[in-house]
Amino acid sequence: MQETTLTRRSFVKAAAVAGAAVAVGSTVAGCVDTGGSSTGGGAATTTGKAMYGSVCHGCIQACPCKVYLEDGVVVKIEGHPDAPTSIGSLCLKGLNQIHTCYSPRRVLYPLKRTGARGAENAAFERISWDEAVQLAATKIAEAIEQYGTYSFFCSVGGGGAYSFMQAMTMPMALGSPTVFEPGCAQCYLPRITEAAYMYGGADQSIADCAVLEPFKGLAPLEEAKGVSQDTKVIVLWAAQPSVSQTAQSGRGMAELRARGCKTIVVDPNFSPDAVKATIHLPVRPGSDAALVLSWYRVILDEKLYDEEFTKYWTNMPFLVNPETKLPWLATEAIDGYTPPADMPANTPVYVCVDENTGQVAALPFGDPATVSAEVNPQVLATATVKGLESKSCGQIYRDEAEPWTLAKAAEFCWVPEDRIRAAIDLYTSPLKEGKAAGIANGVATDMEETASQVPDGLMGLDMIMGYVNKPGATLTQNGPLPADGANPRPTMFWNGFGGMFGMMYGIGYEVGATEEANEARIAAIPEEWDPNGQLAPFMTQSTLWAMNQLLLDRLGMKNHRGLYNWCHSHIPSVREAIETGEPFKPRVWFDMSGNKFAVLGSAGAWYNAIMDDGVDFIICQYPMITSFQIECADLIFPLEEWLEATGASSFGQLNYAFPCPGIIHLGETVPNSVPSQRVVAAASAILNEKLDSVIFGATGQTMAELKLQFPLGMGVMGGSDSEEVEWAAQIASYSEVLGLGEGATKEDFMAALKDNHKAYNVTPPDQYWTYGQHLVKADDGLPMGFATESRKCEVYNQIHIKLSRTGFPYTYPREIGPIDPRVGTWGGDYSPICNVPVQKEAPEVANANGLALSDPEFPLALTSGRVYYFHHGTMRHAAFARELYPVPYVRINPATAAEYGIADGDWVEISSRRTQGTDYVHGTGIEQSYAGIKENNTKTAEPIRTKAYVAEVVAPGVLWMERFWNPESFDSTQSKKTGGWQQMNVNVITNAVDCNFNEVYGSYTNRGFAVNIKKSEKPEGVWTEPKEFAPFLPSNKNEYLPDDIGVLIENKALLTDIVAFPASTAEGGQ
Amino acid sequence: MAKRTLVIDLDRCSGCDSCVVACKFENGIGLGNYYNHVKPINPAGKHPDINMYWLPIQCQQCENSPCVAACPTGASYRDPDNNVVLIDKETCTGCKTCLAACPYSDPTGAVRPSVRWFNEELGVMEKCTLCNHLTATSDGVENTEDTTDAAHAVPPCVHNCSCGARSFGDLDDPASGASKVLAAAEAAGRGIHTIEAEGVTPACKYILSAEIADWRGLGE
Repeated sequence: MQETTLTRRSFVKAAAVAGAAVAVGSTVAGCVDTGGSSTGGGAATTTGKAMYGSVCHGCIQACPCKVYLEDGVVVKIEGHPDAPTSIGSLCLKGLNQIHTCYSPRRVLYPLKRTGARGAENAAFERISWDEAVQLAATKIAEAIEQYGTYSFFCSVGGGGAYSFMQAMTMPMALGSPTVFEPGCAQCYLPRITEAAYMYGGADQSIADCAVLEPFKGLAPLEEAKGVSQDTKVIVLWAAQPSVSQTAQSGRGMAELRARGCKTIVVDPNFSPDAVKATIHLPVRPGSDAALVLSWYRVILDEKLYDEEFTKYWTNMPFLVNPETKLPWLATEAIDGYTPPADMPANTPVYVCVDENTGQVAALPFGDPATVSAEVNPQVLATATVKGLESKSCGQIYRDEAEPWTLAKAAEFCWVPEDRIRAAIDLYTSPLKEGKAAGIANGVATDMEETASQVPDGLMGLDMIMGYVNKPGATLTQNGPLPADGANPRPTMFWNGFGGMFGMMYGIGYEVGATEEANEARIAAIPEEWDPNGQLAPFMTQSTLWAMNQLLLDRLGMKNHRGLYNWCHSHIPSVREAIETGEPFKPRVWFDMSGNKFAVLGSAGAWYNAIMDDGVDFIICQYPMITSFQIECADLIFPLEEWLEATGASSFGQLNYAFPCPGIIHLGETVPNSVPSQRVVAAASAILNEKLDSVIFGATGQTMAELKLQFPLGMGVMGGSDSEEVEWAAQIASYSEVLGLGEGATKEDFMAALKDNHKAYNVTPPDQYWTYGQHLVKADDGLPMGFATESRKCEVYNQIHIKLSRTGFPYTYPREIGPIDPRVGTWGGDYSPICNVPVQKEAPEVANANGLALSDPEFPLALTSGRVYYFHHGTMRHAAFARELYPVPYVRINPATAAEYGIADGDWVEISSRRTQGTDYVHGTGIEQSYAGIKENNTKTAEPIRTKAYVAEVVAPGVLWMERFWNPESFDSTQSKKTGGWQQMNVNVITNAVDCNFNEVYGSYTNRGFAVNIKKSEKPEGVWTEPKEFAPFLPSNKNEYLPDDIGVLIENKALLTDIVAFPASTAEGGQ
Repeated sequence: MAKRTLVIDLDRCSGCDSCVVACKFENGIGLGNYYNHVKPINPAGKHPDINMYWLPIQCQQCENSPCVAACPTGASYRDPDNNVVLIDKETCTGCKTCLAACPYSDPTGAVRPSVRWFNEELGVMEKCTLCNHLTATSDGVENTEDTTDAAHAVPPCVHNCSCGARSFGDLDDPASGASKVLAAAEAAGRGIHTIEAEGVTPACKYILSAEIADWRGLGE
C-alpha cells in the first residue's frame, strides 16, 4: 500500500457518480417539522380549502389523483379524470391512504428500543434525529472496525416507501456486498432479466409497466387524438391485473374487454380476470412450464408461427454444437468460411440447414429480403457438423416439447384438453390477419422453481409468432424511434441497471460489442474514473480486479448468477450466513422497508436466525410499525407516506407524467433516501478518525483498503440527503406547464398547482407509441436488430449456457468457473429453453385422473396471490380494508372441503413440511436443496390458521390463500402481545430453506407447494369483527409514544378541530 | 317523475370493494356500517365449467318505495325536487319498521348484504343517498374539468370505480349518464337485469352479458 495516500484518504464519501451532494454534516432541513407547522415538508396551503394533483403510490403502479385539503388536512382523495389508463379510477388502496397517513401506527419520530427485542414487551423512546444518526453510524462503524466491512448489510422490499437504489448502494458504499429484497428473484428479476438476455427489450410484466401497448388509446383524451387501440387478443399468464393493480391496469383491462379484446387467462384461481376471460386455463399450481411446452408442440408442428420472423429474426434455425451447447459459428462449422466483407465483427454469422438445398449453410444477419435470396433457413432441422449431430434451436425446442401432447398436458396441468387447444388457436389467430397478440406474464412463476423457464418459454412464444415491436403486441418498446442510419447496433451492458455497477466496479461484458471493444472499454475504466489524473498512480487494472471482487463475493452468486443483474444477494444464503458465519457473518442490518416476516419465505427460519444466531443491531426505516419493527428493530427512522413524499411516484402513466409534490407533512418524517445518506456520512466520519490505527477486519479488508484510497463514486445513490433535490426535480419538470419562471420555489410551485389539475406533461403519441425498432437501419447499413450476441431474438437463450459456465457476461473479464452441476437443469448448465424440472414442492400427479398429488402427508397444492385490499405487506392496519377482509380466506373447492369436513366460513389450520418434523438444523438447507434431498423435515413454524372460502373457484386439490399478517396482535389493547406474523401468514409455511431453487435466480418456492388442511379454531390475538378495528382509525394518538409527544401533527388544536372525519368514522366502536 | 339511480355494468365489475370504501369516506360511515356492498355470486357449475359475477348492491331506489309508505314518522321520504328516496335522520326514531318493508334489507340492519343499516351510535337507520348532497341537481354526466360541478357531479363510488362499471343519473332523462350507458347496452344486445323482489319495482339496473355469466340475481 502506498503510504503517501494515508493522509488524504477517507473511508468513503457520498459523492456518487450521479452527482449527489456530499452528505457529511448536512441536516434534514426542509424535512423536519420543527416549528409547529403542520406542513413543514409539504408546501400546501394551511388555511381554507384547496386541491392539489398528486400520484397514488399505494401499489407498484401510479394512479394520478386529486387530493383535497381543509386547513392543511387531507379530507378526500379521488382519481384524476385525465389519467390515460386509470381514467379517474382510484382503488381502495389509494382511498385508504388517508387512514395510512394519519394512522396511530405511524412512526413520526426517530425511535429507539428501550428494552429487549421481541413484541411482547416492546417499547420505544423518541430520540432526536442527530442522536439516531449517530447511534446507527456508531453501531455500523463498530462492527466494521471489529469484523470488517462485510459485517454490514441492507435489505428492502415488502411494499411502501421503496428505497431500492439506496439499499443496493449503501452496502457497497461501506464496502459490503450484501443486500437483499424479498421480491427480486421472487418478483420481476427473472422476467426483466430473461427479456434482456433474449432480445434486449421490455419484458412481459404488466404490473411493472413493461407492458403498456394494450392500454394505448383507451382514454377519451387519447381516443380524441386518433390514437388507436390495437390489442385484440392478450394472454394473461399468471397475472391478475384487476386485483394487483386495481385502478390502473385493472381499469385498463376492463376498458380493453369492453372494446372486444379477447383474453386468455392462465391462473389456478378464478380471479376477476379469469372470470371475464374468453378462455380460462386453471393450471395446476407449479405446472406452467409443461403447459408452455404443449403450446410449442402445436405451434411448431402445425406451422402456426410467423415463418419469416422465426427464420430471419430469431435464432431458431441456428444449428447448435452438442458439445458446447452454443450455436455453431460459420467460421467453426464451415471450412474456409469467411464472413461477407461488409459484415461487421460485432455481428456473428451462424449456420443453419438451407431448406432449398438440404445442406448446412451460413446464415448471415441482415434484411430478410436480402438474406432470403441466399439462404432459406430451416427452423426444425438436424445436420452433421464437424462430425457432430447438431440440431437447430427449433429442433431442440421441439424435442423438449415432445412429451407434452395436449392430452399429456391436460392430465399434468389439470386443464381440459379442448381448452388448451382453443387457447392456442385464439392466441395464434391475429397472425393470420397480419396482426399481433401478446402474452403478459405475471409474478406467480417467479415464485416457483421454474422462475427462468416459464418467462423464457412465454417470450419465446411471442418471438416465434413475430409478436415483437408491432402494434398490439406486448413485447414493444416506447419512445422515439432511433434515427435512420445514425446509430450503432444495439448492445446490452450488464451489472446493475444499464451496466451502472459494471462501470463502477470494472466488470461486465457489453453483449453485442466485440471482445476487442470490451477489452478496450475495460482498459479505459481507470481513466474514466479519474479524468483529471489525480488517482493515476493507484487506479490500475489490479485495483479494478480487487474492486470487482465485491460483486463476485455477493452471497449466492456461485450458483444463481441471474442475481447479478440487480446486484442482489441470494436470500437463503444470507440467512445461512447469519446462522453459520460462513463465508462471513452479516451483523449489522439496515432494512429500508416493511414487514420482512410477512414477505420473506420461511419466515420462521428468519426469525430463528435473528433471535438465536444474532444480528447485533437492526436499523429500520419505514412509515409504520410492522411485525418486523416490533420484534426486531433497535432503531427506527421515520419515513414519509406518499402524501408527504415529493416525487414518490413520479414515473407516470403511459405517456403522461403528473406532478407528485409532498402535500402535507407529519412529525419528523423524511424521504426514504435521507437516513442512508446521513448514516453513511456519519459512519465514514467515525471510521476516518481511525484509519491509521485500525485494520478493518479480515474478509472485507481488500475492499476497505481500496475504498480508503479511492473514495470516488462509492456513495449512496438515488435520492439525496434532503427533500430539496426532489422538489427541484418537480419544479424543473413542471415549471413550463405551470407557467413558472426561473428560480421558482416550492411555494411558487404549490401556489400554481393549487386547484389546478391540468398541470401535467404529455409525450406526443408519435414520439411514444413506436414500432419496428429492429428494422431501422443502423450505421453499418444493416437493420438495427436486437441487443443480443446474434442481433436476433434468442429464443434459444444462449447466454444461459455461457453464464452457467463462466459467469459471462456479468463477471467478464473474470471467469468464475461453472455452477455446481447439481443446480443446472440442462445437463448441469442453466437451461436455454423452457423445460420441466422435477417438481419437488408439489410433486407430480400420482394417478390417471389427474387430481391428486403424490405426497401422502401433504396432498394438496397451495398457491397464493394478491387481494385487492393490500399491496405486498402494506395496509393490514387500514380499518376500512380489514373490516371488509379481516382474514386471508383460503379458497377451497367444495369437493375437497367435503372430504376434509370443512364448511364455508370455518376456521381451518394449514400445515406444510415447514410445520412438522424436526427443528431446522442451521446451515444445511441450501446443501440439501442442491443435493436434491426430498425427505426434508425442516420445522420452522407452527401451522397457520384462517377461514375457509368454499366455492368452485379453484380445482379440487388446490388451495389459494393470500399471505397476511395481523398488526392487531401487538395493539396496546392485547393482554399478550405477539408480532402478528405467525398466525395467518402463508410465508411461514413456504419453503425458502431447502426447496429446488430456480437455477438462474435462486428463486425459492412461495407458490404451488404441498400442504394439508383441517378444521380448527380461531387463533389468539386476531380481530375479525368490524368494530374491533377501531384502534386502527386516525386519532390524536400515536401508540408508540407517550401522548404528550405522540400527536399526528405538531399543532394538536389544529388536528382536533379540523380533521373532517365524522365522529362515526374516527371513533366508531370505541 | 325523476328516476334517479345507479346503473352497474357487471361485465366490468371485478368485485374490488373500492366503491364501498369511497362511500365510507364520503359519507363518514363508521366501522361495521355500510351503504353499499359487493357480493360475489359464486360459481354454480362444477370446476372448471364455471361462471360467476360480483353484484354491487345498495338502495335500489324502488319506484314504489314501500319503505316510505311503511315509515311511521315520515323520516323515510322522497326528495321533493328529484324524487330520490332518502331518510331524514332528525325524524328517524330507529324503529326499524322500514327494514321489514324493504326486500333488500336484513331484518336487523346489521348483516351484509343489507341495503339499510342501523347506526347504533345515532340510533337511526341509514342507507345510500346517491350522494344527494353532491348530486341533487346533476345529470350524471361528469364534468371531468371540474368534478365538483354540481350540475354534473357523480357519487364518489361512481367516480372512483376501478372498472368504470358504475354510472349514475335519471333514467327518465335520456341524456343522463345512466341512461346513455343503458341505451348503449340495449343497442349491443347485452343483458339488462334488475334484482327482482316481491312488491317492488327497483330502478337500479344491472348489465350482464351471457358470455360472462348467467344472471342469478343475488344468488343463493
